[in-house]
Amino acid sequence: MSEGIDVGSPDEIEAGTARVVEPEDSGFVDPIAVFHTESGCFFALNDTCTHEEASLAEGWIEGDTVECPLHSSSFNLRTGKVLCLPATEDARTHKVAVEDGRVVLYPGVAADPARAAD
Amino acid sequence: MGGGVAAFSAASELRARGYDGALTLLSPEGAPYDRPPLSKGYLLGTEDAAKIALAAEGWYAEHEVEVVAERAVALRPAEAAVELGDGTLLRADRVLLATGARPRPLAIPGGEAAYTLRDRADADALRGILVPEARVVVVGAGLIGTEVASAAVSFGAQVTLVDPVDPPLVPAVGEALARRLHAMHAEHGVRSIASVPLGISASGDGSHVVRLADGSALEADAIVAGIGIVPASRLAAEAGIEVDDGVLVDASGATTNPAVFAAGDVSRLRKPDGILARRAEHWEAAVRSGQAAAASMLGQAPPETGAPWFWSDRYGVHVEAVGTLDGRAGGSTVLREVDGVPQAAFLLADDGHLLGAAAVDLPLLIRAARRIMDRGLTPDRAALADPAVPARRLLP
Repeated sequence: MSEGIDVGSPDEIEAGTARVVEPEDSGFVDPIAVFHTESGCFFALNDTCTHEEASLAEGWIEGDTVECPLHSSSFNLRTGKVLCLPATEDARTHKVAVEDGRVVLYPGVAADPARAAD
Repeated sequence: MGGGVAAFSAASELRARGYDGALTLLSPEGAPYDRPPLSKGYLLGTEDAAKIALAAEGWYAEHEVEVVAERAVALRPAEAAVELGDGTLLRADRVLLATGARPRPLAIPGGEAAYTLRDRADADALRGILVPEARVVVVGAGLIGTEVASAAVSFGAQVTLVDPVDPPLVPAVGEALARRLHAMHAEHGVRSIASVPLGISASGDGSHVVRLADGSALEADAIVAGIGIVPASRLAAEAGIEVDDGVLVDASGATTNPAVFAAGDVSRLRKPDGILARRAEHWEAAVRSGQAAAASMLGQAPPETGAPWFWSDRYGVHVEAVGTLDGRAGGSTVLREVDGVPQAAFLLADDGHLLGAAAVDLPLLIRAARRIMDRGLTPDRAALADPAVPARRLLP
C-alpha cells in the first residue's frame, strides 16, 4: 500500500479544487480526494464524507479545510479532523507529496500532520 | 435539558471551552441523535439508529457528560436545581433548556388520528404505514410534509398532499424555486390539493375519510400532519420565565432568569430592539444557539452567527437556502436558470447586498452566498445569474 501513485502535475489540479482517485486506480478500498489548496498545498482524504454519501472533492475548499457540499460538515485537510456537525467521525488522511514535479499519492499511508507546506 | 442537536452542541461546546465541572444531559430518549434524517435517510431506511447518533458511544464518558434518560418535571432555579419525576432534585447552577418542540396537533375533529413526525419512534411508526398501495394523506407541504410525501411515494404509497398555500416555501426559496419544487410532487405521482382539512372520520375498515374545505373527501389508510411545531416551553413558563411562543432569549441564550438559558427549537430570540424574531426552526440554528448558550453560561462572549441556513432532501434533489428570499420587505430577485428552469434564486437589497440565496442541487452556490453575506459583499448580478460562472468566482 506504500507504493506512490502519480496523480498528475501540480498545475493539472487547479488551486481550490480537488481530483478524485478511484479505487481501481489506487488499489485502495475507497475513492480518495486529492486537494490543491489556494495556498498551493496538496492534501488527500477519503473522498466520501464520514456523515453521508457526498464527495468532499466537490466541497468548498478554503484555507486548510473542506466543507462538505451536502450538509456543510468541515474537515481539516491536514489531519482529517471533523470540525463541525453533522459529521462526527474524522476523515481518513492519505500521504501526498510533490516529487520530481509530480503529485504523488500514497493510498492508505496516513498523512504526517506536522509536515510542512509543499 | 434535551436530547437534540442544541443540547448536544451545548454540551460539546462547554467542554471545548474548558468547562470541567459536572455536566448532565437530561435526555428522555437517551443518547442524543440527529433529527433531520428522521424525514430522510432514517425514514427511507438507508440510515439506522446508530448512524444518526450525534456522537460515538464513548464520547460521553470521554467528555464526562452524564446522560440521564429522564424528563424534568420542574425547574427550580431559586434552589439551583431541576426536579425529576420521582422528586429527585438534580443540582444545577446553570440550566439550559433545549427541550425542543412537539408537532403542532391537527386541531380538527378527528385530527388525533393523524401521525406526526418528531422523534425516532414517530419515524419508526411511519415506516409501518408508508407501505405499497397505502392511501396516505399528508397535511402540510412544508419541509417535513414534503419529505414524508417523497418517502411515502418511494415506498409505493398513493400520496395526496394537502396545503392551502400554492406553492409553499416562497419566503424561504423564492417564488420560482418554490414553483419548481412544488411541481415535483405531480412529477413523482403525488397528488397535490390546495385546501385544508375540516375533519377526519373513521371508516369501519380501519381507514379514514378526510373532508376538505373544497368539498372533496379523501379516503386514507394513514394521515400524516406536518403543520409546524409548538415549543416545549411549559416548564419555563411554570418557573416564571418569560415565554411567548417559545422561551424568550437574547442572542446569548439568556432567559429572564439568570440561571436559565435556552437554545434550539424551544427558544425564541428577542432582538435588542425588543422585537420578537420568528422562531428559527432549523438544524443549524439549533447548533449555533446551543453553542452560544454554552459560551454565555461560562461568561464568555458567544461566537458570531452568520446568515441562517437550511437544507431539504426530496425526490432525490438537494435544496439549500441561506438568509431570506422573502421579498415582501423589499429587494429584487436574480434567477439563475438553465433552459428556462430555475436553478438558484438570489434576493438582493437595493444597495446591492445579498439578503439570501436558494438553490436546487447547487450547494457550492449557497456556500458562496453565505460567505458573500457574512462578509457584507455586493455581488455582481450578472455573475449570479450566469450558470457558466462557478460558485468560487462569485467571491473576490
